[in-house]
Amino acid sequence: MLKAEHVTKTYNAGKKLALEDFSINVPEASIYGLLGPNGAGKTTFIRIINQITQADSGEVFINNEKLNPNHIRQIGYMPEERGLYKNMSVGDQILYFGELKGMSKNDALSQAKYWFEQLEIDQWWKKKLSELSKGMAQKIQFVVTVLHRPKLLILDEPFSGFDPVNANLIKDQILNLKNNGTTIILSTHRMESVEEMCDYVALIDHAKKVLDGKVFDVREQFKKSIFGVTLADINNDAFEQFRNRYQIQEYATENQLVSFDLKNDNDQNIVLNELMKVGKIRSFDEKIPSMNEVFINAVSAGKR
Amino acid sequence: MKNIFLITKREYLTQVKKKSFVILTLLAPVLMIAFAAFITFLFKANESSSTFNVIDKSGLFVGNLKSDQSIKYVFVPRENEKALTSTLKDMDGIEGLLIIPELKDNNFDELEKNSKLLINKKIGFETKMSVVADLSRIIKQEKIKKLGISEDQIINLDKNFDLNTQNVVDNNKADSDLDFGIKSGLSMVLMYAVFMFIIIYGVRVMRSVLEEKNNRVVEIIISSVKPFELMMGKILGVTLVALTQFSIWITMSVLGAIFLNTGFSAMQKQIPGGEQSAEMIEKFDIQQTASEVSHILLDMNYPLIIFVFIIFFLLGYIFYSSMYAAIGSAVDNETETQQFTLFAIIPLMIGMYGSFTIMNNPEGPLGFWLSIIPFTSPVAMIARIPFGVPGWQIALSIFLLVISTLLMIYIAAKVYRVGILMYGNKASAKEIWKWIRS
Repeated sequence: MLKAEHVTKTYNAGKKLALEDFSINVPEASIYGLLGPNGAGKTTFIRIINQITQADSGEVFINNEKLNPNHIRQIGYMPEERGLYKNMSVGDQILYFGELKGMSKNDALSQAKYWFEQLEIDQWWKKKLSELSKGMAQKIQFVVTVLHRPKLLILDEPFSGFDPVNANLIKDQILNLKNNGTTIILSTHRMESVEEMCDYVALIDHAKKVLDGKVFDVREQFKKSIFGVTLADINNDAFEQFRNRYQIQEYATENQLVSFDLKNDNDQNIVLNELMKVGKIRSFDEKIPSMNEVFINAVSAGKR
Repeated sequence: MKNIFLITKREYLTQVKKKSFVILTLLAPVLMIAFAAFITFLFKANESSSTFNVIDKSGLFVGNLKSDQSIKYVFVPRENEKALTSTLKDMDGIEGLLIIPELKDNNFDELEKNSKLLINKKIGFETKMSVVADLSRIIKQEKIKKLGISEDQIINLDKNFDLNTQNVVDNNKADSDLDFGIKSGLSMVLMYAVFMFIIIYGVRVMRSVLEEKNNRVVEIIISSVKPFELMMGKILGVTLVALTQFSIWITMSVLGAIFLNTGFSAMQKQIPGGEQSAEMIEKFDIQQTASEVSHILLDMNYPLIIFVFIIFFLLGYIFYSSMYAAIGSAVDNETETQQFTLFAIIPLMIGMYGSFTIMNNPEGPLGFWLSIIPFTSPVAMIARIPFGVPGWQIALSIFLLVISTLLMIYIAAKVYRVGILMYGNKASAKEIWKWIRS
């Protein structure tokens, strides 16, 4: 749905590189995670899509159409730094932003009603923003972002400021939107939400894309053939023998259970056979790196 | 265009709905009058009357030296001189003792040299000067008398030349002093109003820009509209707020003038009424002046003055508020705005102080240039307009102001576009220059 090709952007007359030769491909009706440390260039990329700034070189396409001002109405953008007018009523505010996106007043009103029911906030319409808590304001911000039925939704740290209950509420709404065909770009450094929600991910560091692809593939790519093992009723002699032949880390005993991490590049079934002789196998699973580990690995690899 | 309209509407409604706006609009005229009254009261309160004992050995001053509201002369016999001199220190209610020696051989210089005023507390400069003036006047009369001229002739000599000024351009209407005074007054009021309004509303635009920047609302709006649209909408919105406030105030003052003016014609018919006490006449006099003032005011080319006032106010305001919008976008909080706002205030100040000379000579070169150059013309042209300005000058000035306002909007939009998305640090003048040139 969205395609970026060799996008480069510099600030201060070329002195500061914000984005270098950046290309990604965001498929339709997917959630695409944009990961990276602070200052990596995520916001710059988002601003280019929103046409707040222009790229120095490279192209961005939406549905194979070169990015142009008509696209703005198809985009919903929730910036990381949330912003609403403090002394304006919630209702006026929502209508105002809706109309700025080209909606008619009635359309904006009916959409707002729908979202207020979805997020269980119908009683806030006449309140001023300054009377709401931060989490409440975030919900309004979300409504403002999705009100005009954007085809492309760009969310910068959508869960910051929410308690777990409301974060789940928003998460469900995002997934719901995706199922209805909305393409979503999620910029975040909360790895859990990437694992839970994203279909694809791109990692940016120091203005460059470090890696991208399906979340599953990326994690596979970083696995190190480490298995977590838990055994019960172990035979100490057999365990000693086993220990001499394999690399074992994180060894721990608790309530007659022994657990450790095992490095094994060979066939897993052979190891399993051997382990059966050592004790009763309670669990045996391959350790797939979390996005967090992938992130840290990739970023520190880039620094070397 | 639709976006500008939406932004203008929001800006206008939020500002007009504020309680502070309603209160200020309705209360400001009342407060202004109260303030003027208070100032007058302060001046009056500081006025005091002084009493001087006078020992006149020459005999020239008895009967001629007349007391008035602020100075009271009490003549005392010359025998008391010693006693009074010694007790003056402790005397209450008498501020001084004026001793005038005998006149010998018509030597007035000698008399002047030997006259003295003993005082027991500080007398104001003004008091001293009026004593001096009183004495000089009498001495002058005496000197003239010695030349052998009669009193009638002296009075005749002192008579002022009452020059009748007629402006041949302006329908041969007599240019009375009152007329001139009122025009200067109106000119001052209008000029000051424009000056204050440009600054007050300009700063309002700046605040509004800063608020959006600090709220980060700007990022959301900018993802729907162009920065230029946002800036223009904001400026226009505040313009409408100003116009609303103006129309309310103008209506209030025109109603006031009309009210006094109807009093004027009614009184003219009343004049052949029978006996009137002195108090009545005095009261009548004040009312007469007041209605004459409003009469002159209504007699001026009102439509032109209002037209020029609104045009110059609007253009000047848009010129300066785009400057303020740019300033607001380039900084992070209000304290940082100060060094930049100087750019916006100094030209206006020059225009305003320069305009004081316009009062003396409305058609002089300074007045001309100040009312043509765009930076100062919004203030200076309005200062000139009550006196009448040739049409071509108004046209030229408006033309130049329109051009430079467009230019200023263009420059401001450039600064604004970059500035609103810069957080955390204040732009230096050098950086801003770079944004303008890019």
